[in-house]
Amino acid sequence: MEKNYIIAGFGGQGVLFAGKVLANAFMLAGKNVTWYPCYGAEMRGGTVNCEIVVSDDEVSSVHKQDVDCVIALNQLSFDRFISRIKKGGMLICNSSLIEEIRPREDISYIFSPMTDKAVDSGNPKLTNMVSLGVLSNEETALNVEILEKAIDIVLPEERKKLAKSNMEAIMLGIDKLVTA
Amino acid sequence: MVSYSDKQLIKGNYAIAEASVKAGCECYFGYPITPQTEIGEYLSQRMYDLKRGYVCAESELAAINMVIGAVSTGAKAMTSSSSCAVALMQEALSYACSDELPVVLINVMRAGPGLGYIYPAQGDYFQSVYGGGNGDYKLTVLAPSNVQECIDLTYRAFYLAQKWRNPTMVLADGLLGQMMEPASFGEYPYPEVDNSSWALTGAKGREGRAIYSCARDEDEHNAKIRRLFEKYDLIAKEETTWEEFNTEDADVVLVAFGSMTRNIKAAMKVLRSQGIKAGAFRPVTLSPFPTERLNQLADSVDKFVVVEMNMGQMINDVKLAVNGKSDVKLVNRPVGEWLSVEEIVAGVKNIIGDKTYASV
Amino acid sequence: MQVFKIPESMKKGFKYTFCPGCDHGIAIRLIAELLDEMGLQEKTICATSIGCSVFLYDFLNVDCIEAPHGRAMAEATGVKRARPDKFVFTYQGDGDFASIGFAESSHAALRAENLTGICINNTTYGMTGGQHGPTTLIGQKTTTSPMGRFKETYGYPVRIAEHIALCEGTAFSARVALDTVPHINQAKKALKKAIQVQLDGLGYGFVEILSTCPTNWKMTPEEAHERVKNEMIPVFPLGIFKDKTEDN
Repeated sequence: MEKNYIIAGFGGQGVLFAGKVLANAFMLAGKNVTWYPCYGAEMRGGTVNCEIVVSDDEVSSVHKQDVDCVIALNQLSFDRFISRIKKGGMLICNSSLIEEIRPREDISYIFSPMTDKAVDSGNPKLTNMVSLGVLSNEETALNVEILEKAIDIVLPEERKKLAKSNMEAIMLGIDKLVTA
Repeated sequence: MVSYSDKQLIKGNYAIAEASVKAGCECYFGYPITPQTEIGEYLSQRMYDLKRGYVCAESELAAINMVIGAVSTGAKAMTSSSSCAVALMQEALSYACSDELPVVLINVMRAGPGLGYIYPAQGDYFQSVYGGGNGDYKLTVLAPSNVQECIDLTYRAFYLAQKWRNPTMVLADGLLGQMMEPASFGEYPYPEVDNSSWALTGAKGREGRAIYSCARDEDEHNAKIRRLFEKYDLIAKEETTWEEFNTEDADVVLVAFGSMTRNIKAAMKVLRSQGIKAGAFRPVTLSPFPTERLNQLADSVDKFVVVEMNMGQMINDVKLAVNGKSDVKLVNRPVGEWLSVEEIVAGVKNIIGDKTYASV
Repeated sequence: MQVFKIPESMKKGFKYTFCPGCDHGIAIRLIAELLDEMGLQEKTICATSIGCSVFLYDFLNVDCIEAPHGRAMAEATGVKRARPDKFVFTYQGDGDFASIGFAESSHAALRAENLTGICINNTTYGMTGGQHGPTTLIGQKTTTSPMGRFKETYGYPVRIAEHIALCEGTAFSARVALDTVPHINQAKKALKKAIQVQLDGLGYGFVEILSTCPTNWKMTPEEAHERVKNEMIPVFPLGIFKDKTEDN
């Protein structure tokens, strides 16, 4: 069973970092995983995304046209990736920055005011981590313990002190307030 | 459940860089170019910490020649670059083949021709396998398909370069360079090669040695080139490696190199699930090319479908190998987004004529 | 009393292949004498070049790596970084050093590589038959400037030693000639210093040697050496342009 995820947002929203945490988390959960960033031309206009492919077997390919799950942290990403989601796939949206509309009927949506939650918690930069919390509600392979360990792996030595606030943001995402 | 105790999630470029360190690379010389720049960035600090050699060279011309200088002394050394800048190194590679020097070169391919762009492509097959330099020579070329192989084949490149005294290239692409996957380094698995019979160490207790390609006698020159090609034959005999999947009963075999291997393996599974007897074949060494094995397979396989991110380069070698016994077709895109599994499946079905299998 | 002997650092029984009156022979002999006197032969690795200078390894009994045209300084850099305990020098013509290899030559100096560069300047591409090169004098006729080099189309000759002296990593840069005995003695002193700065780890040592090319200049050896004195030295003045050993 192979599944792929795209996390997308503005540069500065911590998209690649969140992707690395997610990839490490899946690795710790015993999955095969590949993380692939956009680079160069794709990054024009200030949007950044990365793809994470997770499989029980060998990961077949990356840079896939069809996506199982998209985490959109801003409106631009919502607009860009909604058409690439597979039928029956999922779109997780940061409703603080994305209008709550459902243009496609064949996919499921989760709207969560991630940036508002991050602001409330005192650190608007942690929108990315809130989104991982939201995703972990949907993924049986992910849990708090694994995500905590993944954050520890990804944070470089000099930034380890940020682990606590990152985990707090994930917990805010796990706390289901607005779903649909 | 897969055990990751010894694995770390690491980018292909960093995997190659650290593997070179573990392989005992004493000097790195390079010039920045996307999508391989992380190799030089990583090694600038790492080599400094280890008190090994690092130079951010003034050009790719200089970088590859610095490698030649370093390896001529018996040291392990390498450079890394990408397509249009590897083009600048072709003269030196021709020299290094003639001089029989164990140069290691990493090429993380981007899209050409000319400046092209930084997204991945596989347009350097000809440049790597047939060479852009002058004269008769052959590089040894290894093509990894995932991050673990970026490590394994970097190790092997250092070993083969030393063992055969022949420039050896790891031909990766932007996809591999930029992706992260769990991988483990282990220890450098190859023996050290004694190079005391030829390395430049100073003429102490012996006559001065000169390593040169300059030829002034036609007979000697002919003999030298024939000897080089006898060596290439030996390399082909002993070092040719490939992977094949489900080829025993296959009617159609997909052939790809490098990271496209992943996609043809996935496409093969889809085709099998739809009742099409598909196999997959992937040369690990592009030079030497697994000609003999493909020729054997052609006895039982109807069609070979070569899948490449270029306008059809490796397909020439597949055709030469198959030598008219079977049909060889191409599914390709010149540059950019990798051909998806779905596109490959559709391409293969189109080629074989889906109707044959309609009843399945 | 022995008044003449071939330096130990020369190959035994070498065949002299340069043209009569060419100064390569004197330059190579000076290098060989210095390798002997400074006890360097056994720890020397030389990066040779393309052009007449390529034949250095026929004469010098030291380890040599042949560089592609212009890349001698890059190869020397590789050798030195891999084996810092060796004495590493290049022996190049002006076309190799200051035209096709100008980037490598300048950057090796800028990086303060502990290397010694020796450049034979004979104002022409000798091996290919006397074409216009980076040091060809204004007015000089060559096979590719048959009307004589004029600045409007061909620009100006490069003063290599001055250029290298401008690079901060250069420890020593000088221009010498081989047309008279006093000049030859000066040349040997300069070469010794360019070697010594490397051994002392001070940086890049460089000597430009004004030389003859009687064949392509279409002159007798005597006339050729007159030309060095009358035409080359006025444009390429002899002297030391940088000497870090005197700064201290």
